Amino acid sequence: MFAQGILRSARTGLLAGGLASGLLAAGLMASSPALAQETIKIGAPLALTGGLADEGHKQDVVWKMWVEKVNAAGGIPVGDKKLKVELIEYDYQSEGQRASQLAEKLINDDKVQFLFSPFGSGHTKIVAGVGERYQVPTIACVASSESVYDQTLKYLFGTLSPNGGMTTAMVAFFKEKFPQTKTIAVLGRDDVFPKSMAEGIAKAAEAGGLNVVYKELYPVGTMDHAAALSSIKAAKPDWIYVTGYTQDLILARKQMQDLGVTAPIVTMVTGPSYKEFTEGLGPLANGISSSSWWHHLTSYEGQGVWPTTAAFYEDFKARTKGDPDYVHGSCAAAGEVIVDALARAGSLDKAKVRDAIAATDIQTFYGPIKFGPNGMNLSRELPIIQVQDGTIKVLAPAAIKNADMIAMP
Amino acid sequence: MAIYLQIISNGLMLGALYACLAVGFSLVWGVLNVINMLHGSFIILGGYLTFFAWHLYGIHPVVMLPIVAALMFALGFALQKLVINRVVSAPVLTTLTLTFGLDMILYNAMTYWFTATPRRITLDLGAVDLGSVVLPVDRLIGTALALVLTLLLYGVMRGSSIGRAIVAVRMDRSAAELMGIRTDRIYAITFGIGALMAGVAGVVFATVFPITTNVTGIWLGKAFVVCVVGGLGSVPGALVGGLVLGLVESFAGHWFGPQQAITAGFVLMLVLLVTRPTGLIGVRGYE
Repeated sequence: MFAQGILRSARTGLLAGGLASGLLAAGLMASSPALAQETIKIGAPLALTGGLADEGHKQDVVWKMWVEKVNAAGGIPVGDKKLKVELIEYDYQSEGQRASQLAEKLINDDKVQFLFSPFGSGHTKIVAGVGERYQVPTIACVASSESVYDQTLKYLFGTLSPNGGMTTAMVAFFKEKFPQTKTIAVLGRDDVFPKSMAEGIAKAAEAGGLNVVYKELYPVGTMDHAAALSSIKAAKPDWIYVTGYTQDLILARKQMQDLGVTAPIVTMVTGPSYKEFTEGLGPLANGISSSSWWHHLTSYEGQGVWPTTAAFYEDFKARTKGDPDYVHGSCAAAGEVIVDALARAGSLDKAKVRDAIAATDIQTFYGPIKFGPNGMNLSRELPIIQVQDGTIKVLAPAAIKNADMIAMP
Repeated sequence: MAIYLQIISNGLMLGALYACLAVGFSLVWGVLNVINMLHGSFIILGGYLTFFAWHLYGIHPVVMLPIVAALMFALGFALQKLVINRVVSAPVLTTLTLTFGLDMILYNAMTYWFTATPRRITLDLGAVDLGSVVLPVDRLIGTALALVLTLLLYGVMRGSSIGRAIVAVRMDRSAAELMGIRTDRIYAITFGIGALMAGVAGVVFATVFPITTNVTGIWLGKAFVVCVVGGLGSVPGALVGGLVLGLVESFAGHWFGPQQAITAGFVLMLVLLVTRPTGLIGVRGYE
């Protein structure tokens, strides 16, 4: 009798337990698609530590600003619903190999619908390859080398314009301002973007009638430019053009000063676009010219959470106490591409969304965004800038110019 | 001709800096048989200490030299005593993995605290123009400091009882122990001196190169090449190795373009590994 009682209660318990878990499972099954649809997931492998940490943090800060703004407004309209955005970031420690693994994890484990690509053409190439494999649209906001987009990747889109736009216009502008300019010396870092800029300017200079008296690349990891600069000094160029990342350029400028190497025009790409460059060099930065994809003095208007460049600038300034550079501008605009494409696609279907992104033609605080056949934002007039008295002045285009060009002091 | 004088002086000044950065690494490798992967980060840590002392409190790098030296010695001594001594007699791969792990912690902690933004001490002391040759003053001072410090270390190794004990441990650990030398302590002192030399190299470098965690691996690589070229575990070896590497990079940069400058250094290392594994002035049996 006692044993029967136990058995019965055990059976009831099992039944009840089974029923409960069944119900739970049913509830989960019913709720999981709903949950999945309630947010739009964007994955970002980011360089939050390691060599590219500064650049990674720039992307991180504007993406977070953008997500907060979008969610505060209720989310992104998709069809008849508004979906919130969830940004999933992983630190890839500035190691390309890890970026690729994390991109796979974001797609397979976290089920992201979009990828934001990390800093630089090299790492964008890696992440875009993964996005392509899984047909996940990837928006690159800091990759401007055409070689990245020439791989017939259908799911990669970039908000920067091609490098080419930075060279031809610059040669023409400098020739107009300094008509005596006849020769140029080019020293470039042997890395995807700096190399393409060095080759681009040499081609543009030749096409513009200048004589390229020195053109060499230096390898990644160079900690001494004395040999190259001594050779440049001997060639006596009218224009010295150096490409690289901030630490290379600070070193090169310092050694130019040490070795007495100078010219009426000294251009460093992308040096002055970053405040770390002017801060690191102090007075030595004065007179150095450069080009950039965007400057906060531009005045664009358009759709999105920031209706004008000024609105973005104010918001950014309030948040970080600093000025935004092109990395901030371009990456914040990358989010608007997704908003616009989802509104037009009206669903989360990968192929539809991809086609909607390809057909993007919008105006934003960052400027117009319209992708060419290779997925790159179309060319436009890019600002030519110069450091004068420690601050960045815009020399061209005329619409946003706030200073005249000066010769190197 | 003028350009060759400039290239030679560029090479010698660079070479002295290389010697300064490599001498501590060479000592630790030679005496402890530990390939200290922390060395590059130690240099940058010394650089950051100098930079922030100058930037925040206006302390001149020269004043920071003894302070950084003392701090780095203490750090190196403690690290060896508390952590590395536990595995110091294990195969070289174990100690390499340990210092590699410690380096990742230090490297990422520095990137976290200081960010990877390149920083620079903007002393800009100008240059001495001798007509055909221009000598930047900060590099000249850096060169002089590097030479003085390296020679000072040489003097300590040759003339002091600690120095002789280090050399004795390097030659034969068991025999040194039988002679009453406390090898654990000597190991800790040696590692401390290694860290000290890295730290003072950092002080010197802070006035010449941008300071950023990005370059820790580059400096470690240079230290490695200098040791192989010059010979392991000896102060003169590091000096000769540094100067030769500086000259080779300088000439290769001029003749074959800057793209080949670093390659030339590694080619030299490979050639020496094949033809003279003890390095240019190393002693057989200590490679």
